[in-house]
Order: sequence, then C-alpha cells, then structure tokens
Amino acid sequence: MKSDTKSFGDEYALALRRYLEEGGEAPLFRAYQMGRAAVESGMGMLEIATAHQKALLVDLLLMLAPQASARTAQRASEFFAEALAAFEANRRGFKEAASVLRGQNQDLERRVRAADQAYRTVREQLDEHRRIEMLKDEFVSLVSHELRTPLTSIHGALALIPSKLERALPEPAERLLEIARRNSERLKRLIDNILDLQKTESGLVAFDMRPLQVRSLLKQAIDANQPYAAQLGVKLMLGEVAPGLRFEADSDRIMQVLANLLSNAAKFSPPGDSVVVAAGRDGDWVRVTVTDRGPGIPEGFRHRVFQRFAQADSSTTRARGGTGLGLSISKAMVERMRGRIGFDTAEGGGTTFHFELQACEPLQRNEGACLGLP
Amino acid sequence: MPRPPLSRVLLVEDDPDIQVVAWLALSDIGGFTVEVCSSGREALAAVSSFRPDLILMDVMMPDMDGIAALAALRARPAGYNTPVVFMTARAQPHEAARFRQLGSLGVITKPFEPATLAEALRGMWERHFN
Repeated sequence: MKSDTKSFGDEYALALRRYLEEGGEAPLFRAYQMGRAAVESGMGMLEIATAHQKALLVDLLLMLAPQASARTAQRASEFFAEALAAFEANRRGFKEAASVLRGQNQDLERRVRAADQAYRTVREQLDEHRRIEMLKDEFVSLVSHELRTPLTSIHGALALIPSKLERALPEPAERLLEIARRNSERLKRLIDNILDLQKTESGLVAFDMRPLQVRSLLKQAIDANQPYAAQLGVKLMLGEVAPGLRFEADSDRIMQVLANLLSNAAKFSPPGDSVVVAAGRDGDWVRVTVTDRGPGIPEGFRHRVFQRFAQADSSTTRARGGTGLGLSISKAMVERMRGRIGFDTAEGGGTTFHFELQACEPLQRNEGACLGLP
Repeated sequence: MPRPPLSRVLLVEDDPDIQVVAWLALSDIGGFTVEVCSSGREALAAVSSFRPDLILMDVMMPDMDGIAALAALRARPAGYNTPVVFMTARAQPHEAARFRQLGSLGVITKPFEPATLAEALRGMWERHFN
C-alpha cells in the first residue's frame, strides 16, 4: 500500500510536470488519473502537496528558460485554479456532509434521550403501579381483618344463642334471629369475596396451574353445589363431556368459578328445572358451558354483567343471598388462568355462561404440552 | 405413642367478645377445661401453671403476638412443646403455610363456627398424634 502510494505520488508529480511543460488534453487527463489513483491509494494532503512542489520545482527550473516560462506559468495558474475550485467544491461537499451528519447525530441523540425518558417514565409508572397495588392489597387485607374481628363475635354469639335457650323463642324473635344469622353469613361471604377479588387481581398470589381432568372436575363441582341447588328446587346435571378432555387450571380456583356459575344458574332457574353443565373441545381450547332455562339477562344489563356489585335487579339478588361479586371474581380468575369467559342469553330464553381454558393433550401423548413447556 | 384425648385448652385471644364466644364453644359445646388469657406474654405464664394439652392462639395481639409467643415457647427447655393452633382473620394461603412451618398444628379461620370449633381442634389433635 505504502509503496503504491509513493509510486502513484511520483507518477502524479511526473504527469503534472509533463502537462505543465507541454500542455494538451492527454497529459492533463494522465495527471488527473494519476492524482486520483494517488488519493485513492491513500495519499494524504501532505504527500499531494509534496507532489505539487516537485512539479512546481521542476517548473520553476523550467521558468528559467525564458521561452517556456510564460506559457508554463499560465498553465500552472489555470491548473491550480481548477484544483483549488475542485478542492473548494470538495470542502463545501465535506462541509455539507458534515452538517448532514451533525444533524443526523443530533437527531439520533434526541431520539435516544426521548427513548430513555420514555423508558424511565414507564418504569416509574410501573413502580408506582406496583406500590399502589401493594398498598391496596395491604389495605384490603387489613380492613378485612378489622371487619372479621367484630364479625367473629357477632357470628359466634348468634350461633350460640340456641344452645343457651331453656325453651323455644317466640316466633317473631326466632325470625329476627334468623335474619341476623343470614346476614352475618352474607357479610362473611362478602368479605371473603372482596379478599378473593383483590388477591386475584393484584397478581400477588400465585395460581397453581396443573392439567386437570375436566369430566371429574365437573362432577365434583356438581356434587358440591347440588345441596344449594336443591334448596331452590333445582337439579344440577352433567351434560355431554368429550372423553379424555383436560385443561390447565388451578383446581381450587376453577372450583370456585364453577360454584359461582352453578349457583347463579340455580338462582335464576324456575323451581323444578335443571341446570346442565357440559364441556367440549374448541381448537386449542376446552369450552365449559353452564346452561339454565331461566328468564335470560335483560338487554340493558348485559354489558354490566361482569362488573362488581352489578345486579340486574338488586331486590332479587339480595333475596337470593348474592354478594354481587361472584361473576367479577370468576372473570378475574379465568383470566388469570389465561382463559376467557362470556355468556349467550336471550330474554325469556335462558342463559349459557361459558369459559374457555387452554386444552391439554391426553396424558400418554404429550404431558409437556400441558405444563407450559416449549 | 398413643395420647390421652384432648381435654385442657388454653385460649389466647385479645378481643374480649371473641374470648366469650370461643370459651363457650370450647367448654359448653366441646366439653374442654378452658383457661383464657389475652396476650402471648400471659400465655407463656399460663402454660407453666395451667399445663394445657393444646393452645388455641390468636395471631395478631398487642404486647406479644402469637408468632412471637410460639417462638418463645419453643425456645424453652424440653417439656414445653405444647401443640399450638393459630386463629386468624387474615388466613391467606401463604400465611397458613407459614404457620405450619413455624410448628403449629393448624389454622382456624375467623369467623369460626362455634358449633364445630371443638371438633376441628380434636381433628387436628388426632391427625397430629395418630
């Protein structure tokens, strides 16, 4: 490289000198070519200046010969005017390129700063969000403790009254006692529900996700909730369940979701009727349905079904002992289990609540698919 | 080794109303001999004098809470490994697991059912010793 540079430099100086001596297109072109080659091979400004000096030095000597001097000087000045112009143009180009680069650089810096700022803001918001969630969790936990303490003595005292009575209470007193008992029971459920909702939504409590047999789970849920339905004169029945069906869920939580859906369906069924639970495969999902032939959900209430404390007709729900939190808890739980929940209803034509959870392949084929393994 | 049936229960609870309810549930319905005290510190003294078979103790109490009382009890020389059952209004699943790790037989969640409280304690007692 270095020797190339040197020889190109010499060639350039030689060609330049020839042009200065003789003039003409061909020598000028040659000088130009050699100059370019010298620059491309890595010749620096200092070396180019040396080449120019060499050429000029020869020229200077030539200038001593009077006949050549005028023409040579003319050509030399033309050449340097051109070279200067080219150099100037390059310099302008360089300046422009530099300013474009500077602009791009500043733009990049601005973008980096903006991205950094955005990142910091998001992180602060996340920290703040997490802090608020923890405060909320702590608050709910504390409040529920403060509520449960007096409730423990109310509930306990009411439950102990019969054992302390020497004879039966008069009928009105018995009824009043029953009202107190029923409502302390409801308050207890309400506090439990608020805690459940908070625990599920805050994400601070882990869900124990395992592959579960859908059929046996549904049977279990029906058995557990049959006594409650029987009080309302309603029968819970297992409908069609595809064989070998499994999904991934936390078994306690999914039982709670089923209990909510089953008790809701029973509450809104006419006495003597039945509620049907079924399950089937829908692509990668297992879809569980709970169908009643009750009055259906009124049009105007449908968008609020999963909201907290939303009740289509608060008088009926209150009479049926609901807390108004069952469906919002169910939704939060199903979503924490990476599933979805919804309903189909027709006014006067019954309601089907359904949820979908990720299906697992049958045990023998692919256990890993269900454990969330890649 | 087979143990005699559960008969002496020390109740540790700071809320006076809950004291009454739990005392009735344990003595009237459960038929236990019950002594009541209202803090972990009192409980430590009562363990020596009353010699309970089992301690039913609230977790959150002023002065000395249930967890500190259990630790103090276990730190005593041999002979003070009286089984403890915690009572709490804040039974989150991870808390229940922690109580068991600390060496309690089990957890009673508040509000409890007075009719079945004694039965629940007997159940834990049986499972622990048999």
